[in-house]
Amino acid sequence: MALSRRLLPLLRRGGCLSASASPARALSMAAVPADADQEEAVTVKGVRISGRPLYMDMQATTPVDPRVLDAMLPFYLSRYGNPHSRTHLYGWESDAAVEEARARVASLVGADPREIFFTSGATECNNIAVKGVMRFYRDRRRHVITTQTEHKCVLDSCRYLQQEGFEVTYLPVRPDGLVDVAQLADAIRPDTGLVSVMAVNNEIGVVQPLEEIGRICREKGVPFHTDAAQALGKIPIDVNQMGIGLMSLSAHKIYGPKGVGALYLRRRPRIRVEPQMSGGGQERGIRSGTVPTPLVVGFGAACEIAAKEMDYDHRRATTLQKRLLDGIRGQVDDVVINGSMEHRYPGNLNLSFAYVEGESLLMGLKEVAVSSGSACTSASLEPSYVLRALGVEEDMAHTSIRFGIGRFTTEEEVDRATELTVHQVKKLRDMSPLYEMAKAGIDIKSIQWAQH
Amino acid sequence: MAAVAPTRAEVLSLFRSLLRTARQFSDYNIREYTRRRAADAFRENRALSDAPAAAAAFVDGKKQLEVAKRQAVVYSLYAPKAKNIMEMKLQ
Repeated sequence: MALSRRLLPLLRRGGCLSASASPARALSMAAVPADADQEEAVTVKGVRISGRPLYMDMQATTPVDPRVLDAMLPFYLSRYGNPHSRTHLYGWESDAAVEEARARVASLVGADPREIFFTSGATECNNIAVKGVMRFYRDRRRHVITTQTEHKCVLDSCRYLQQEGFEVTYLPVRPDGLVDVAQLADAIRPDTGLVSVMAVNNEIGVVQPLEEIGRICREKGVPFHTDAAQALGKIPIDVNQMGIGLMSLSAHKIYGPKGVGALYLRRRPRIRVEPQMSGGGQERGIRSGTVPTPLVVGFGAACEIAAKEMDYDHRRATTLQKRLLDGIRGQVDDVVINGSMEHRYPGNLNLSFAYVEGESLLMGLKEVAVSSGSACTSASLEPSYVLRALGVEEDMAHTSIRFGIGRFTTEEEVDRATELTVHQVKKLRDMSPLYEMAKAGIDIKSIQWAQH
Repeated sequence: MAAVAPTRAEVLSLFRSLLRTARQFSDYNIREYTRRRAADAFRENRALSDAPAAAAAFVDGKKQLEVAKRQAVVYSLYAPKAKNIMEMKLQ
């Protein structure tokens, strides 16, 4: 595609540093932020950071891959039709794009395109899966099995079902984060309607034994639902090999756009759900509402890229995780990894630093965008329920930091994150009387704190 | 379309174009990724011996170059004022 002559001067200026200079800025219609006008520094919430932080929070969301954006843009510019319009070119081309994207999503997980239904994200998929399945089979199935480390939307949907009179078993997990498969098999009753276990945990990165769970569920005739939002495109998923009946997928965790996801719903044997969205019957009646073509096309492109890049990204993430872990452990001690190291997706590293207060650690790490153990319950200062389910003590849960490594993470970023973290941890430990006592050999837990 | 393997000169030219386009990205992470991914892909595909596979890889490379050129423009149009910490000198 030939570039317009007007834009050539932009490219000739070359280099990265001048890209934020006025010629490029003048072409943008985006609002200029009121504060950081002439300064390079960013001041937000009273904190002044010298520049944009390095991003290591891939589990919260991922940047959109430029190849994905390239695929999406035409659908915001000229091909803006509604895919459900049957009478004109705009509708036909939009529909064709949606179906192509559907095929790409399906091929990444080994499914048939007719088994993929687009939704607004994994949270909506989890709602449809948990509530939809149980409500459809409400006459014969009254019991749900899930784990204590599931995402909030699954746990909340289960709580909602309990109010409607269903029974829910919340399986505990072992200290390494993995669910006990024998315990799961024992918990299955004749009236169990759904087993829901997430594939890769968003907080600790632990990978559950999907094949074993799928096998057990298939033997006992119970639908197996897995929230694969963090797993898609990162670990190989095959719905037939893993006996998966329902699966929640999210686009913005695999370098796709926010606001779109997909529900996998098995056709053979057919699993039925009661739709949660009433309307015009789009997506075969499972999810009414206009399918957002640009987002769905982005999701399809992200899946296609993930299929090609999975091995490369996985190898890189493993190398970078090792670099980060060795770098931190080589300079500070009393660092605990939360969750199993063997059954882990390497792009997620959750560490607890003993004798360090969590909030102050995060306050000092403003140049690295990371998340802490209490992120998902961030309204309160309550430590993460996931870490609590692992048996992590409250003080260690408070000091947990989750490092996310992704496709675009560089070695230099890992090194800088290591340096900043080590610096902050050392600084806080120097000030910590608890650390002094621990180093002197006193067992903190045996101390009888005096009451005033 | 005939599956003719690209000449060495063509491959080198494509590689240089990709690296040049990578430098034009205003975003630190995308810039580094484009450079690294191109280098790794060309290194890996160097071993491709049969003509159709090499031709297919070359065509794919050219498509990626077009995508990269377009996106380099888009990213520079919306580059944030504040630079990434990684692009600034160590304090």
